[in-house]
Amino acid sequence: MNINNNQLWVKVIKKVRAWARLNSIWAVHFNSGSCNGCDIEILATLTPRYDVERFGIKLEGSPRHADILIVTGPVTRQARERLLRTYEQMPEPKFVVSVGSCSVSGGVFHGCYNVGGSVDEVIPVDVFIPGCPPRPEAIIDGIIQLLTHLKDGNPRPARKEQIIERGVA
Amino acid sequence: MNTLTSFFSLLIFPAGLTLLLAGMFYDWFDRKLVARFQNRVGPRWFQPIADVIKLFAKEQITPGIKNPALFFGLPIVALSGALAAALYVPLLGFAPVHSFPGDLIVTIYLLSLLTICMGLAGWNTSSRFSLIGATRALTQVFAYEAPFLLALLGPAMAAGSWQIDVINDYARDHWFAISQPVGFIIALIGLMGKLELPPFDAPEAETEIVAGALTEYSGRGLAIFRIAKALELVVGITLVSAFYLGGLQGVVPFFVKTLAVLFLMTIFQVLLTRLRIDQTVGLWWRFGTILVLAQLLITILWKGGLL
Repeated sequence: MNINNNQLWVKVIKKVRAWARLNSIWAVHFNSGSCNGCDIEILATLTPRYDVERFGIKLEGSPRHADILIVTGPVTRQARERLLRTYEQMPEPKFVVSVGSCSVSGGVFHGCYNVGGSVDEVIPVDVFIPGCPPRPEAIIDGIIQLLTHLKDGNPRPARKEQIIERGVA
Repeated sequence: MNTLTSFFSLLIFPAGLTLLLAGMFYDWFDRKLVARFQNRVGPRWFQPIADVIKLFAKEQITPGIKNPALFFGLPIVALSGALAAALYVPLLGFAPVHSFPGDLIVTIYLLSLLTICMGLAGWNTSSRFSLIGATRALTQVFAYEAPFLLALLGPAMAAGSWQIDVINDYARDHWFAISQPVGFIIALIGLMGKLELPPFDAPEAETEIVAGALTEYSGRGLAIFRIAKALELVVGITLVSAFYLGGLQGVVPFFVKTLAVLFLMTIFQVLLTRLRIDQTVGLWWRFGTILVLAQLLITILWKGGLL
């Protein structure tokens, strides 16, 4: 069957689908070797004070249910395989948010004998949130940036070099 | 004409579209109330609809499974069970579409279908989390099913009929929540166990076994299971409030009574912490069943004119 992309119903269905994706984001949280600082901030983002459920963001246990993968920490040699497997278990469309300086560049763990490197050396990352640890406001802002770019129709990763040039990470 | 009415009742009202929207609404109301109890703002009104549409638009992964036909068939069977159960209850305060003596038992069986399907779905995948979740879900069925049925039999015996419509009419003049308070509480808690709401959410305990029996489901299958659960919430609440809260006649009493029941269930949800699976089973068989059997005995004695 030929489906013409300019037909009205196709457009409507695409609109509804985009709306639903933007308004219902389920996240799965993966610690790839973090010191737990960023993990505590992610939990703080979910607490009543910041309450991300009003945007439809929810933490799910299973990667099969999730839309975005939140990775914290540098990728240790042990966690590398698990990170890849978790990423591959997620259904499309999926996005990756890397939280914290360590996940952006390796941070203070850069060059350690047991650390492989940053997250984007293992899986494609869409949004980098620098900070040690980033505040909940920064995490929410990062996810909102991802959403605005999805809305415009261009899922893009913020270039890691730009962040490092600005001297944040 | 008759076929047309049947199709209408199956697809639009009371099963089908109306029930779907009601399910979404009750799901949202539950989440919003929990959020308010926790001093949060809570999700927006269209949240369950957005969730379901998003899940339908996602990829469905077929993991390493024993039987692909079961994997795709089980969500549909669960959903159709919940939809069929809606035909026998006074949804939105209107008389049930189909009614025959003994439809109470049929409805309860249809409501159990979801749990059975979830148990089979967990068994069907090779993930250890879903296997543990399935074991717990099926254990919990044996825990709450008997007390829940016995609790619903209390009003049925007092009304002298096992037909939901007749009991609903009889309950108009008899508030069983007052004359049979034990049965009311056990029916309420039994419904929470059926829906795997906290504190009876051991089968899908996020902190222990990821997402229970549905761990390996993604996309469409998960969406259908979620819809089935929302529908079961509506049908179960309708059943309990029709039996115990003076019957459901008219749209306004329906919403007032069912939302009051949901409010009570939400209070239990936020107040109590999760029980272990052995605690759940112990609670039901040591206290629930004994108490509700005592209640039934009293009802029988009163019915026989001995009290």
